[in-house]
Amino acid sequence: MRNRNATAYRFLAPYLLIFSVFWVWPIISSFMISFQATRTVPWRFAPGFNWGRLIGDPAFFNALKNTLLILVIQVPVMIALAMVMAVLLNSPLLKARGLYRFAFFAPVVVGEVAYSAVFRLMFSLDFGIVNKLLNSIGLPKIDWFSNVTPAMALIMIAVTWRWAGYNAIILLAGMQSIPEDVYEAATLDRVSKLKQFFYITVPLLKPVIVFCTVLSIIGTMQLFTEPFLITERGGPGGGTETLGLLLYRQGFRSLNFGYASAVAYTMAALAIAITLVQLWLTREKQ
Amino acid sequence: MAPVTLNNVAKRFGAFEVVHGANIDIKDGEFVVFVGPSGCGKSTLLRMIAGLEDISGGEIAIGGKVVNDVEPADRGIAMVFQSYALYPHMSVEQNLSFGLRMTGNPKADTDRRVKRAAEILRISELMDRRPKKLSGGQRQRVAIGRAIVREPQVFLFDEPLSNLDAELRVQMRVEISRLHKELGTTMVYVTHDQTEAMTLADRIVVLRAGHIEQIGPPLELYENPDNLFVAGFVGSPKMNFIKGRIVGRDARGVLVELAGQEKTRITQPLTGTAPEVGSKVIVGVRPEHFGDAGEGDADLVVGIDVIEHLGGTSFLYARTVHGEDVVIQRDAAKVPETPEITASIRKSYLFDDKGLRLR
Repeated sequence: MRNRNATAYRFLAPYLLIFSVFWVWPIISSFMISFQATRTVPWRFAPGFNWGRLIGDPAFFNALKNTLLILVIQVPVMIALAMVMAVLLNSPLLKARGLYRFAFFAPVVVGEVAYSAVFRLMFSLDFGIVNKLLNSIGLPKIDWFSNVTPAMALIMIAVTWRWAGYNAIILLAGMQSIPEDVYEAATLDRVSKLKQFFYITVPLLKPVIVFCTVLSIIGTMQLFTEPFLITERGGPGGGTETLGLLLYRQGFRSLNFGYASAVAYTMAALAIAITLVQLWLTREKQ
Repeated sequence: MAPVTLNNVAKRFGAFEVVHGANIDIKDGEFVVFVGPSGCGKSTLLRMIAGLEDISGGEIAIGGKVVNDVEPADRGIAMVFQSYALYPHMSVEQNLSFGLRMTGNPKADTDRRVKRAAEILRISELMDRRPKKLSGGQRQRVAIGRAIVREPQVFLFDEPLSNLDAELRVQMRVEISRLHKELGTTMVYVTHDQTEAMTLADRIVVLRAGHIEQIGPPLELYENPDNLFVAGFVGSPKMNFIKGRIVGRDARGVLVELAGQEKTRITQPLTGTAPEVGSKVIVGVRPEHFGDAGEGDADLVVGIDVIEHLGGTSFLYARTVHGEDVVIQRDAAKVPETPEITASIRKSYLFDDKGLRLR
C-alpha cells in the first residue's frame, strides 16, 4: 500500500512542484513582503510600514469605496438579471433555445481587450451609439469617461454584460434540476406561476444563487480589466479605481511590492469575510 | 364526489397517436384502475383527466361538466405523483397547507383540513419534518395528505407505490383501500402492477398501445377475459397459452387438438360461431386449472424444469413435449417427485389466431 502511495506521489510530483513554486510560495512570500518596507533597497522588516499606511491612505479608501460600491450595486443587479435570463431560457415557449444559450454565454469567451475597445467606442461622447440612442429619444449626451458617476455606471454595465449570461447558464442548470412534477403539483394546488417562482424556484435554487453570488463577490473584489481598459486606469481621477487597480499601480508601476502585498491580503480577507457573512445569512435553518 | 366520463378521448404527439379514442364511464365514488404495460398510455390518460396534458380529440367530463378547456386547478381533482412531488424545502405541515395558503384560504379552515388529513394518514407527529427526513412510506402519506386537504371530487393516483419496497407496497395498498372506504371519493389509479389493480379496483381498465382492451371488475377480467392480452396480463403467474387446432365441431362446440400432442383433445363448448375445422387456435389454461391425471378434460404430458415452493402452494415450471412453457399450480403436499408428469386440464379458454376470445 505504501509503495502504491509513493508511486502516486511520484506521478503528482511535477504538478506539486509547479503548484508550490508558483502558487504556494508567492502566497507566503507576499504575506512576508507585506511586512517589509520595499520603497528603498535593501528591503527591511517594518511591520507597521505598509499596514500602517493602509489605514490612513485616502487612495486605498477610495479604491475600497469604489470596489464595495460596484459590489453592492452590480452583483445583486447582475444576479437578478441572470435569474430573469435563466427563467426565459428555461421557458418551453422559447424557440431556438440553444442559440440563445450560446449568445448569453458568448461574452465570457470574447477577449477582454476586444470587448473593452468595443465598449469604449459604443460609449464614446460624440460617435458612440449609446449617446446617439439617448439623443434620438430626446435625452442629453452623457460624457461617460469624464464624470465619475457615469464612469462607474459604465464599469457596472460592462461587467454585468460580460458575466450575467455566465451566471444565467449556471442558474439554468440549477433550474433544470428541479423536478417538473413539483411545479405540476403546485399548478394543481392553484399556485400562480409568479408564486411558483418565488416560493418554489427561488428557495430550491438558493444553493446555486449563493454559489453565483460568492463567485461574483470574489470576481468583483479582484476587478481590474474593465477600469484599466475601459475607463483608462481607473479614471477619471481615480473615480473608478478599484482595489485590483490600486494593487497593480502600487506593485507594478511604483514597484512598491510591500504595499501591493498588503492591499492583496486586504482584498482576500474582505472577499472571505463578505462570503462568510453571505453563507451565514443564507444558511439552511434546521 | 363526482363521476368522470371520457368520451372518445385521443392524444397525439405529432403524427404519433398514443391514446386512440378512449371511452370510459367512471361512476361517482368508484375506484377505477388503469393498468397496462409501460408505454400503453395509462399515465397520459390520467394526466389528460388532470389537465396536465392537452387533449387531441374527444371530451372529458368531471361531475357532468366538460373540462377540456378548464384549468387543472379548477377541475376539482387532486393528484398523487409517482415521485411524490413534495416541496423539499418545506416541512410536512407546509407541504400540506401550501396550496391553501397560496390561494388565500382562511387560516382556521386550512388548519382544520391539514389536521384532519394528518389524522387520517397518521402523520401528525411528522408535521415539522422536511421530506428528506421521511421514509418512502411516510413521504407517500404526505403526498396523499396534500391531495386530501384539497377536498377534491376526484383523486388521481399516478403509480403511487412504484418507488416503495414490496412490504411497504402491500401496506400502502391497504391504506389506500381504507382511504377510499373512508372518504368515498371517486378515485382513478394508474399502475403497471396487475396485483395492485386486482386488489384495489372496483373496475379495471386494461390498456395496450393506447387502446382499451377491456373494462370490468377484477374477477370478471380474470374469469372472463375478452382476448389473449387481457388473459395473459391479469393473473399471476400468467395464463398458459398452448397452440392448438380445431379438429371437429358440432352444435355444442369444438374439439381442439393440442400441438404436438395428438392424443390430447379438449372439448370446448361455444355459443358463438365456431371456427372452421383445421383453424389454428390458442388454448389458455390458468395455472390453478391443471389437476391430477384423469381429473379433467384432457391430459397433458409435461417435463418439470423448476419447482417454486411458496408454502401452501407450489408452482411447477414445466415444458410440453412441443417445447411450450407451462406453469402448473399444485398444493404443496401434492408436488411430484418425478421429472415428468401428466397434468389434466380442468378448465380452459379458447382464442382465435388473432387473439380474440372464442365463446
